[in-house]
Amino acid sequence: MSHLVLDQVAKTFRSDGREVQAVTPISLKIAKGQIVTFLGPSGCGKTTLMRMVGGLETPTKGQISLDGASLEGPDRRRGMVFQSYSAFPWLTVAGNIRMGLKYRTDICAAARDEIVKGLIATVGLTSFEDSYTNRISGGMRQRVAIARTLAADPDVLLMDEPFGALDALTREHLQTKLMELNQTSAKTTIFVTHDVEEAILIANRLIIFSARPARVLEDIDVDATLGTTRDQALRDAPAFLDMRRHVQKVIRTEYARAEQEAAHV
Amino acid sequence: MLGFRTKLPRQTEVFLGLAGLLVFLALWHVASVSGWVKQQFLPTPWAVVEAFGRLFVERDFAGDILISVGRVWLAFLLSVLVAVPLGLLMSCYRAVGAFVEPFIDFIRYLPVPAMVPLLIIWFGVGEASKIAVLWMGTFFQLVLLIADDTKRVPSEYVESGFTLGANQWQVIRDIITPAALPNMVDNLRITLGWCWTYLIIAEIVAASSGVGHVIWSLRRFVKTPEVMAGIVAIGLIGLLTDQAFRYAHRRWFRYLERS
Repeated sequence: MSHLVLDQVAKTFRSDGREVQAVTPISLKIAKGQIVTFLGPSGCGKTTLMRMVGGLETPTKGQISLDGASLEGPDRRRGMVFQSYSAFPWLTVAGNIRMGLKYRTDICAAARDEIVKGLIATVGLTSFEDSYTNRISGGMRQRVAIARTLAADPDVLLMDEPFGALDALTREHLQTKLMELNQTSAKTTIFVTHDVEEAILIANRLIIFSARPARVLEDIDVDATLGTTRDQALRDAPAFLDMRRHVQKVIRTEYARAEQEAAHV
Repeated sequence: MLGFRTKLPRQTEVFLGLAGLLVFLALWHVASVSGWVKQQFLPTPWAVVEAFGRLFVERDFAGDILISVGRVWLAFLLSVLVAVPLGLLMSCYRAVGAFVEPFIDFIRYLPVPAMVPLLIIWFGVGEASKIAVLWMGTFFQLVLLIADDTKRVPSEYVESGFTLGANQWQVIRDIITPAALPNMVDNLRITLGWCWTYLIIAEIVAASSGVGHVIWSLRRFVKTPEVMAGIVAIGLIGLLTDQAFRYAHRRWFRYLERS
């Protein structure tokens, strides 16, 4: 069953009196529990598309619906994890995660501590619960942000290059953590990234976008090729390497096309 | 010691600070006793210290200080009480900002001393006109500073708040306010300093009490040491308040320090 539906969603910005199209009309159906990565040239509009799903941008055209009900504006049903300024510095690790519960009315006060404790353990920050987020590493801060978003129990998880600002080793570690998390409790996720390997490794489904204005170039069923169990070792698997080569080729071709187009205008 | 953009040990910093102060005092002393500047115009540092003592013994200077501090804080708090909520609203709702900004910008450029005669016509020579002068001098600056602090809160924080399920009021209360608070407190500290400038103007023009009044009335008898002692007193109060604010800032916002 389609859980999240984008129906002819488009976005046009106005800048300097000119209309700039960021996203061409795009239709997508995302199933419940599916993890979809958005990959594409930088500035192509994939983040804008995700922000529209989050209600943080209003589509110029089209409609987005969740379980059949049309969506408008941000709310708790779509949680967001940002690349930077992701954790609140005035709160401790536990305080940040508690913020995810603060606006939930479906949980009694007594249960809150338990949930916070559980989530801290899930993201592996047990000995840091009382630390302020300026005193922990960037990777830990992203884990705090993920735990905080999970605390709000959204229907859809939106991740905007959450590991983009981290060093390669930390990034791998967090990818592993995320894959573990996805094996146990998969939430419907849209994950925007620039990293081809990350985009394949984490995804059930990978969507490659064109240069601005964003158009779907390819919609790849990653599970069909790589199966559903994922770990870092998969990076060396021939099927993975084949897919990576293919994706890179698509992107390179797209860059070349966009450059040529720009030269002719 | 003259390392380019390097840190200095704490003791060295304190030592240099004291040394600078001592050199200043020594130059002052020499200028005074050598007759280079007449003592009537520039009494020795020690004479100022003695005059400082006399102010407390011979007249109720402590009472005057209390009155001045009271005026400053009352006006300052009234200013903060309006400026903080209005500043928050101005940056959160563009319509509010667009509505009041031109007016505030205009008032902000009026020199406060020029307003004193008008404020005296409106409020008389009592306490009200002094509070009004101070309020005028600080509110219009503070409200723009607060609006700026609020505007600088990263949109990621705000958007995180909305996607966690907070409504607009909750985002203002639970996210924008704590996020902007450290900068706000810093701006409150700076604004409080301006309050003292306007206080002296208000007290010189029309007052029968307060530090400004004391300085101004002693001037009539050319009691230079006492006048200078009065100025020093203002400086000391300012320094003390500033340090108190800085200390509170460090304590409250310890989380800003990176390990």
